[in-house]
Amino acid sequence: MEHLDPDRLVLLALSEDSTEPDESMHLAVCPGCRSDFESLHHVATLAAEGPSLGEQSAAPDRIWQAIESEIAQLNRPVRVPDQPGDNRAFPPATRRRPRRLLAPVLAAAAAAVLAVAGTLAVTRTADRQPPDHVAAHATLSPLPEVPPAAHGSATVLTDGTIEIDTRDLPLTTGFHEVWLIDPADTTRMVALGNLSQDQDALLPVPPGVDLNRYRLVDVSDEPHDGDAAHSGHSLLRGTLTS
Amino acid sequence: MNSDDELAGQLRDGDEKALRAAYDLYGAAVLYLAQRLLGNRADAEDVTQLTFVAAWTGRDTFDPERGSMLGWLLGIARRKAVDRMRSAARSDRITETVRAQLPLAEPPETPDRIVDRLIVADELGRLPEDQRRTLQLAFFDDLTHPQIAAVTGLPLGTVKSHIRRGMANLRRRWEVDGGTSGSRSAGPSRAL
Repeated sequence: MEHLDPDRLVLLALSEDSTEPDESMHLAVCPGCRSDFESLHHVATLAAEGPSLGEQSAAPDRIWQAIESEIAQLNRPVRVPDQPGDNRAFPPATRRRPRRLLAPVLAAAAAAVLAVAGTLAVTRTADRQPPDHVAAHATLSPLPEVPPAAHGSATVLTDGTIEIDTRDLPLTTGFHEVWLIDPADTTRMVALGNLSQDQDALLPVPPGVDLNRYRLVDVSDEPHDGDAAHSGHSLLRGTLTS
Repeated sequence: MNSDDELAGQLRDGDEKALRAAYDLYGAAVLYLAQRLLGNRADAEDVTQLTFVAAWTGRDTFDPERGSMLGWLLGIARRKAVDRMRSAARSDRITETVRAQLPLAEPPETPDRIVDRLIVADELGRLPEDQRRTLQLAFFDDLTHPQIAAVTGLPLGTVKSHIRRGMANLRRRWEVDGGTSGSRSAGPSRAL
């Protein structure tokens, strides 16, 4: 038998006609016609299901507004104050500090974690929560000048830590530092700590930091210049959502 | 239709209006896919947001030669939804959603099939008017070719040719952009 006529194949695919015995036999032995028939039948089935997409609601404007503001943040470089001594632009937590103070700062952060852990321990006797309970999450995307393969994620756990996991960050002669920034005023930020060699870190979130406000997670490339302020060179960013 | 090429060009030039146009055209489909995959409206909205932000930061990776913008966006949305499911597997909100879905009698639709359906519906909307109209009568009103000829007043031969060409267009688009495109030769499932 000859190959099936294209019009005939369409009729069969739409189930408008059933196959004659000789057509069935041909479909059984001819891979070309069979593949045509199967593809057309699949597409016809998919198309006929189309109206169920009516459940599909229009994408609301509030999502667009969120997209727009996140993009605006991505495109805006961190404003670094011109005057080294100008502390007014910074909240106390990010006051310019010499690097040599880092150890005490870390110690303070560690103490803060202990304090949080203590609070949680007390809370937990009443309400047992798994220690790895997720409070908020952000997907970290590369900024325009950064190689597009770079990416990562940030997960705030209810035990007061933030888990930073990054991939393919560009090489640095300095180090990578993690910040929480207030998207409404990007001069306001909290330094969380540095990423280790393997580009991951579990960092304490200083107690009292309002994650609704400081919700923009930023990973920056910092030179070893002894300047504790943000270098202005952001690599990855993402917004925490709970 | 060339609008994908134009949109792609504007996107690559960093024109935010192109992203807005893409959102207006395809935001509903992205939201639909995310909602079907995550079963949770709040997460679906988050993933829709992540998808368009990622589309913006990764705008250089869209190549109109390799598929449509809708196919590209749905691919991003699918990965973001999977990321979300994995990272939030520990969160009660999701486990509860997942648990709530378990008793469903029918097996959940595969992501491939949801993408396929969105792609075919999109292509149907792009067909020339005469092809679209005849196919809609065949698919949705379940009319036979002779009935379509009677309803539209078109000769039967014309109805047949509209339907044949319309089907060929739907099939071509599905082969380029469907959920399994790119992996079809390697097997039917790009399983998640």
